[in-house]
Amino acid sequence: MAVLARAMKGRRTHLIVSTRRLLIGGVLCIAMLGVVSPAHAYDETSTGRPCAGCHGASVNDPAGPHGGYTATSKKCATCHSVHEAPADGIVLLPAATVLATCQTCHDGTGGKGVYGTIYARTSQQPVARHTMLDTAADPITAIPGGDGVGGGTRTAAFSGTAGGLTCSDCHSPHGSNLVDPFTGDRARSATDTAGLGSLSNFSSTRLLRQRPTSTDAAYASVTKYGSDWCAACHAGRLSWHELYNHPVEAATTYAGTGSAFTYESVARLTGVGASTTELGSLGRNNFGYVMPDPRTTQQSGHEPICQQCHEDARSVGDVTARTVDATEVFNITALDGAAAGDNPRYQVFPHESDNDAFLIETDNDLCLNCHKQPRG
Amino acid sequence: MSRVRGFTARQTFTALAIVLVVVLVALLVYLYFFLRDGGIPQPKPTSSPGVESVWELYGPGEGDLPRFDGPMGVVVSEDGRVYVTDSGNNRICVFDTQGRFQSTFGSFGIAKPSQGATATYEPGSLNYPVGLDLDDDGNVYVASFYNDSIEVFDAEGAPLRRFPDPNTVVGRGGSGYGGTGIAVTDVAVHGDRVYATDSYQVVVFTREGEFVEQWGKPGAGEGDLDHPNGIAVSADGEVVYVSDTNHGRVTAFTPAGEVIWQVGTIPEGMDDRTVGELQLPRGLAVDSDGSILVADAFSFEVVRISAEGEVLARYGARGVESGQWNFANDVGVFRSFALIADKGNGRVQMVRLTR
Repeated sequence: MAVLARAMKGRRTHLIVSTRRLLIGGVLCIAMLGVVSPAHAYDETSTGRPCAGCHGASVNDPAGPHGGYTATSKKCATCHSVHEAPADGIVLLPAATVLATCQTCHDGTGGKGVYGTIYARTSQQPVARHTMLDTAADPITAIPGGDGVGGGTRTAAFSGTAGGLTCSDCHSPHGSNLVDPFTGDRARSATDTAGLGSLSNFSSTRLLRQRPTSTDAAYASVTKYGSDWCAACHAGRLSWHELYNHPVEAATTYAGTGSAFTYESVARLTGVGASTTELGSLGRNNFGYVMPDPRTTQQSGHEPICQQCHEDARSVGDVTARTVDATEVFNITALDGAAAGDNPRYQVFPHESDNDAFLIETDNDLCLNCHKQPRG
Repeated sequence: MSRVRGFTARQTFTALAIVLVVVLVALLVYLYFFLRDGGIPQPKPTSSPGVESVWELYGPGEGDLPRFDGPMGVVVSEDGRVYVTDSGNNRICVFDTQGRFQSTFGSFGIAKPSQGATATYEPGSLNYPVGLDLDDDGNVYVASFYNDSIEVFDAEGAPLRRFPDPNTVVGRGGSGYGGTGIAVTDVAVHGDRVYATDSYQVVVFTREGEFVEQWGKPGAGEGDLDHPNGIAVSADGEVVYVSDTNHGRVTAFTPAGEVIWQVGTIPEGMDDRTVGELQLPRGLAVDSDGSILVADAFSFEVVRISAEGEVLARYGARGVESGQWNFANDVGVFRSFALIADKGNGRVQMVRLTR
């Protein structure tokens, strides 16, 4: 300051000029810093965050993305984007294909995953799957057993890329025209409070369409999940092709008394070692996969539905007694079949399976669930 | 000695010295802030509510995989290393805080092959890496989701260890495939503790990987969890924040698992029309003031929640422009900036949240 004071002993006009220069220099320095440095001009402690009350309109959205659109159109925007969808995409979805769009959420971190789970968990590709490459180069258009007249393969135009099969051919992401809820194998939620070991029943539509592959009213509408639902595509697998097909129970071909079996209502064993049956869901246990010989009254006159042979791979039944023994009880001890003793293991049917043709068991094990071992 | 416009040489020298000192001080101040923020570019305004954009990255921009494939996690070290889980490519990408690519580490490997198949895992292998965090030494803890374990690397990416053993039951059980290991989606490190989210619980380990305890369970009650996908610890280590994702809420726990508060309500079904403060909370981070930043994938916002459990602000909107996001999956914090793992847009953004 002494130096500064001595400098100020000059003429006042020169002092004023000098002061101006200093001020201008200082302002320039500060301006320079303000332009170049992002840090001191913005500080997280001085940005003046607004308090509660700044909630956007989106807080009025219903919780889930699949359904409830009449409440607010904003829910549509969870999946559809008016201006920012990929240029090569469809229906304004966030990814280029339906499959990729679904995988945005259904990648496993919100559950156990769907496609890709078996490989990621085992390093082995699944043996069977409803393949949906969803690419223009190699669309999946062939339906094995799709020919309802001849029983052979037919081709179909699905809703995926280049007419290939994709998720939305079987599932309605909008939750419209769905089959009735059914209790499946896969437990995705629990409401009990006993700990990790117990589960609540889980009944859901799985967003399955009443008219898989189409919304066209000309196609059969199936309200109950079971053989008829599968036959919407695989029509040639129904029982009128006895020459090639194992008999199968379907409402469209059932001629017996009462109602045809569906997934939610089959005659299943009443317990471990039992040879009596009760009507109930095929899901949540292995008791519905065995048909004792001789058949019970509830099973008499009925054939198995598709899912009694085609479901997640599992170990079912005592091949001699045709009952379910204690070691083969369907036993989900944690959600989504995560525990070592779970049977079945992957619970990704009908997307992928480590058994050929989605069979629950292979070779004789499968047949002997219902048929006695041949003699002679 | 000559005179300049009436000043003596001494006066002139003195005045120049003062100016030089001022300039020097200004330069030092500038350098301090420049270095403090690592030379981060000036944020630019965006049309996205409360968001200024600094930079956005779509991948390393070089090598065989120049672009990200669904990046799901981001964290920044004190010295300015930005670690990104490039989930679909099974690797970690490292950048500096100016967005310049530095390196990658990690590779694909399956730890739990089925019987008869060959394990492709080797130390450092990843199988759908999701969340990640750093310890005080800068080591990187990665949630290797499909390998049911946490993979630990040093700051340079050299593999250090893996825990828990994906083929061993953890505590009283976890949700790893076959009942062994944990289906880990995110990790948070504080002191010697590593908190990991399993499908319906939080599992606590030491940094070396020794099991400590587990808390949380499925259900719809207070503190129950359903596929949590985010976890973070307060600076003092007294609060553990968990994104209870499928329940649409964030819960603050004590380190022992006792509930302190919850934000959000559990949806009762697909057609539940109740108003929820959070739609699908995923990754979260604790900001420097103690508030929590949550990536809400279904509201397409980053939500700020106070340390007391009050929603303070919402940032961003859906889109592909700077400062917008599509299914954001994680938030990182670096000084006055936030980093967003913008999964749906296949990028990571550095932004400044302005309110």
